[in-house]
Amino acid sequence: MEEKKIKVECFRYCPETDDAPYYVTYEVPLAGRMSVLDCLNYIRENLDPGLTYFINCKKGFCARCALEVDGKKVLGCTCEVEGDIKVKPIREDKVIKDLWCKNI
Amino acid sequence: MPRAEEYVDRVVDTDLLVVGSEGAGAQVAIEAATRGVKPLVITKGAIGRTGASQCAGADFNVDGISAKELGFSGDDRDSQERFFSDIIHEGLFLNNQKMVEKYVEYAPKSTKNLLDWGMKVYYYASVHSEEIARGLTSSGKRWVNALRKKFKSMKLPIIEDTMVIDLLVSSGRIAGAVALNFRSGEIILIKAKAVVLATGGFQMAYPFNSATYDLTGDGQAMAARIGIPLIGMEMVQFIPTTILWPPIERGSIITYIFTELDTRVRLLNSLGQRFMSRYDPKMLEKSTKEIVSIASEFEVMAGRGTPHGGVYFSMKYLGEEELERIKNGVINLTRSLGETRYEFKTLLPRLIEFMKKEDIEVSNACHFMVGGIKVNELTETQIPGLYAAGECSSGLWGANRVAAACTQVGVQGLIAGEISPGFIKRVDQEEIDPLDVKRIVERIERPFKMEKGVKVEELRRHIHDISGKRLGVIRDGKGIKEAIDMLKEAMEEIPGLYVSDKRSRKLNREWISCLELDNMLTCLYTTAIASSVRKESRGAFYRSDFVLTNHDNFLKNTIVRVKQGKFEVGFEPIVTTTLPLPKGKMTFEEAVGVATASLVRADAKRGV
Repeated sequence: MEEKKIKVECFRYCPETDDAPYYVTYEVPLAGRMSVLDCLNYIRENLDPGLTYFINCKKGFCARCALEVDGKKVLGCTCEVEGDIKVKPIREDKVIKDLWCKNI
Repeated sequence: MPRAEEYVDRVVDTDLLVVGSEGAGAQVAIEAATRGVKPLVITKGAIGRTGASQCAGADFNVDGISAKELGFSGDDRDSQERFFSDIIHEGLFLNNQKMVEKYVEYAPKSTKNLLDWGMKVYYYASVHSEEIARGLTSSGKRWVNALRKKFKSMKLPIIEDTMVIDLLVSSGRIAGAVALNFRSGEIILIKAKAVVLATGGFQMAYPFNSATYDLTGDGQAMAARIGIPLIGMEMVQFIPTTILWPPIERGSIITYIFTELDTRVRLLNSLGQRFMSRYDPKMLEKSTKEIVSIASEFEVMAGRGTPHGGVYFSMKYLGEEELERIKNGVINLTRSLGETRYEFKTLLPRLIEFMKKEDIEVSNACHFMVGGIKVNELTETQIPGLYAAGECSSGLWGANRVAAACTQVGVQGLIAGEISPGFIKRVDQEEIDPLDVKRIVERIERPFKMEKGVKVEELRRHIHDISGKRLGVIRDGKGIKEAIDMLKEAMEEIPGLYVSDKRSRKLNREWISCLELDNMLTCLYTTAIASSVRKESRGAFYRSDFVLTNHDNFLKNTIVRVKQGKFEVGFEPIVTTTLPLPKGKMTFEEAVGVATASLVRADAKRGV
């Protein structure tokens, strides 16, 4: 079976080094049914070790992996990815780094 | 020479440092505070939202008589002596019997605390299939929410998103610790008269686990680095029928929990054979966890595994109509219990729907660490002022855990919270050696300061390959030897780890990963050398080259000590009180059968 590849457009911003937020698009192979966090893990483990986001239980318990995906507020662990996505922090004005905000 | 304070960004003073904020840690802090000492909790996440407790089933144990006193139906046939004896049989006699006595004695007290603090219970029943009902079933979320509420109501101090890196010892006594607040990037020196480690297991050292991302053996590794022995580290408990595929559901044990609710699940290999018939023809899939794990692993090793290296979890044979009925049963049950957890409310009905047409790929996930820091029945380690409670400690469960871990952490948290204040009131804060702080700070900062070197993800993948292939459910001498050599080489790579993303010290996961990997490697190496000397199979530990449970030669605990950077492995005698140790040799299956004789595995289970 041919592996489907999707584009994950990620919000990046480090207030200490960046003047303004920007987006980086990564290509992620969809291997089976994957969550947003599975995609972010793939990026961090294979493409960009610096990508910053919250992960803990990955099963909907801790509820700290809140993200905005294609304009909707979701938990990264339980939100299934089917095609290209745009991932933003839950509160852009509260970003500490990339996708991790002060209020999570 | 600079003072210790000058090497760090911030200094905090406390009576009692508690490392960990959940089932064990929160209970320690609450109890110690009621006894008039000032605790400070440092946790790697946020209270109520970190570690294993939040994900727990969750079941709590009390003997049948005490259960009645707590207002539950209970069981008159039970006694604390009988409960004590069951735990030691289930642990195949490696248990520290003094610790088991404390567990049984404190279980009602620690459970009562949780009920008093508002933890709601679903029902009282036989949870682990014990013949005697000893289980109060609640949920991990209800548990940690009750603890958090109590903790917050007492306004106890806490520092969150912070990893304690190393302990400070002066004149043979605990003096504090050094931590990294990864939210702010600050290094903190904590001065304390006593420290309780409540950091949980090291499941993340295994590629397939059922745990949360923060469980990386931090407590075990920092204790080992100051010379505290780790015992029983070869005893790693795996849980069968955990979802292996797809990635979104990977690591969920809801399938295992479901087998406790509905016993009609069949396990199939890639040839469609109901393989349990070869391993336990009588009990089949209802055999014990250990036998099901080993059988599944043998199938995969024989080339009869699923595409992702597991076995199939199948109910298709029941037909769509029956599965629809089961699904509706689950939906009604969760609704009537007021269940809100994702795994129960959303995932389980989805899986049952899926099983009308397909089978689920499942495998054995690293689930619970039976081994850990050596403590006595009062949670004391060998260093005055240092205690360990919960899963990071060892001794209670012997070779296997069947009874409730949730109760273990509450009991040991309560004991540590009772004992440590007495010590704290007797002693003064020890002087901290600035050179110790300097050395620890250098170790923390090294990967951040290195310009290039070893990538943490590459080394992580490498050690996962070692643990997954050689230190899993089925081990043998050759694989263990290879694991020891490979892990030793991997440990030499640790000083070469570097952080590639140097944008900021804040929330630098790569940096934290370097420090966590060091801890996981220490734990895994200890697991490997402890495995090498236990030349038998027992409980959670199975060696294909030594399949007998050998009471004559191995009724003793493995013990590993780090001395001047070298790991030394040996054995120490078991602490016994009233239950005499058995003699002779048995097949593994016989031994497991005797161990679990107190469990009713077949018909006593509830149907959905």
